[in-house]
Amino acid sequence: MEERAETVAITDRDAQPSTPAPARTTAWKRVVSIAHNTFREAVRDRVLYNLVLFVLLLTGASVFIGELSGGQERKIIVDLGLSAMLLFGVFIAIFVGVGLVYKEIERRTVYAIFAKPVGRGEFLIGKYLGLCLTLLVNVLVMGAGVSLALLYVSRGWDPLALRIWPAIMLIYVELMILTGVALLFSCFSSPALSALLTFFVFIIGHFSSDLKGLASSMGSPAARWLFHGLYYLLPNLANFSFITSTAHGQMPTAAHAAKAILYAIVYIGVILAASTLVFSRRNFK
Amino acid sequence: MMNKGTARKGLLLFVVFVGLSTVVGLSRLMDSHRPALDAQIEEEQLYINGQTVKRISLGFNGLAADWYWMRSLQYVGRKVLNSPRNIQLDDLGPLNVKLLAPLLDTATTLDPEFMEPYEYAAVVLPGVNVEDAIRIARKGIAANPSSWRLYQHLGYIYWQQKDFKAASEAYGEGALLSGAPHWMEAMKAQMLVEGGSRSTARQIYERMYQETDDPNVREMARKRLLQIQSFEDRDMIRRILGEYAGHEQGCASSWKDVSNALRRAGLSLDASGAPLDPTNTPYRMVQTGCDVDLDLRSEVPQK
Repeated sequence: MEERAETVAITDRDAQPSTPAPARTTAWKRVVSIAHNTFREAVRDRVLYNLVLFVLLLTGASVFIGELSGGQERKIIVDLGLSAMLLFGVFIAIFVGVGLVYKEIERRTVYAIFAKPVGRGEFLIGKYLGLCLTLLVNVLVMGAGVSLALLYVSRGWDPLALRIWPAIMLIYVELMILTGVALLFSCFSSPALSALLTFFVFIIGHFSSDLKGLASSMGSPAARWLFHGLYYLLPNLANFSFITSTAHGQMPTAAHAAKAILYAIVYIGVILAASTLVFSRRNFK
Repeated sequence: MMNKGTARKGLLLFVVFVGLSTVVGLSRLMDSHRPALDAQIEEEQLYINGQTVKRISLGFNGLAADWYWMRSLQYVGRKVLNSPRNIQLDDLGPLNVKLLAPLLDTATTLDPEFMEPYEYAAVVLPGVNVEDAIRIARKGIAANPSSWRLYQHLGYIYWQQKDFKAASEAYGEGALLSGAPHWMEAMKAQMLVEGGSRSTARQIYERMYQETDDPNVREMARKRLLQIQSFEDRDMIRRILGEYAGHEQGCASSWKDVSNALRRAGLSLDASGAPLDPTNTPYRMVQTGCDVDLDLRSEVPQK
């Protein structure tokens, strides 16, 4: 009830009294306002508590892994830290993302919001950016944790503590795509089904190269088209996977990182447009 | 007087406490009566090969490789700890570590740039299955063609098998790579000229000791270096004991008989005049004073 009041209050504050098309800056303000509230809601829902678990995991690994790893503490800290960062992020993106829209509909706060001059697209983008902000805080704190753990196991300065950050950035971009996918599903499906479908996209996104290989090896042209279609349609998350090479001190090239980020921006744009399209067809009057 | 709410909380806390204690007790009871795992089941081959694990790891292949690597170390460590004998890392043949090769193979398939499993395979596997050792080293070379260290590992495997020609070729190929140290080229020549000598062995283990990041491998190299030093000490002591026997028409009755000669030869002696091995444990006089051997308490490997 408190959350409902919060959302309504914010949208009231930012809404214009008249219905004419809001100015560009005002639209942006509304998006920021919704994003801000989504972030606050996530914090209030104790989403960031996962950081405690992460810190415990990393501290435990830093202290005990030396005895088990045969001198490979640094590699294992990076693998473990970045993998946990991705996994925790995926769970947040999925389980918070699928509820972004559904919860507003379920609580009927969405009716109050759309009674004001708030566009469907603005609402979705605000929700999306709010969760992305939550994930950003999460990823930054976790990244700092991994860097500190590396300094601890190296007993001093370790260049790997800086070299992991490009990979962390790509993990974050991957999480941004997954958040968009979860948001898209949450526009027309129940949270359970949306979570399942988003998780499938995460899995298939890491099987992209197999999908392409499968397409090439298919005899039937229809099957070839289908698998090629799936390969290009579903996000290729392998583009963002640099954990293993980062653990060996290698960084993605600037050209690759730039292309991957551009791919993500375009893909997220497509998802948000599709989400708005689906969401616009729903009747909240 | 205790109200109803407090009483209920107390009861629930009691249930939680008693329940957890019972669970711990039952777990301990079941553990103590659990039949030992059948050796065949324990040593059952891995169900999933490395390629499949890599495919299903969803980008977590580095972490999965770490898991297989640590499992390899635990597997060997458990076997060594359970063995009544003093086992050296490069002589695990009697321990039946048949899962080690598949574990290291999977770790290197999951993360082909992970160098330590290749090194571990080169050091440990020749004593178990040399074909597996060579296969994993060559797989590493195929995946990391610019890594001279993998050629060093391959050369070490061939050297252990006394195939000095193949070892020389491996060192030679590695020496051609950029960043390879000069001693790789020297090792190529030395393998052909005196592959079986102690001097070669000493150089190989010194390089291994200096280059490795793995404390287990470093410890093994350290012990082999101690052993080589001890072989040289014992040759010297035998010569002195032989000279004494030739001169006195009989073997020495105690170390005191030869202590001056031992001291002159540069060996360290303890208070009783017994020569000390590289770990400062006195050598043992055997065969009624005509031969020398390591003390059983010595840290130097017996074989």
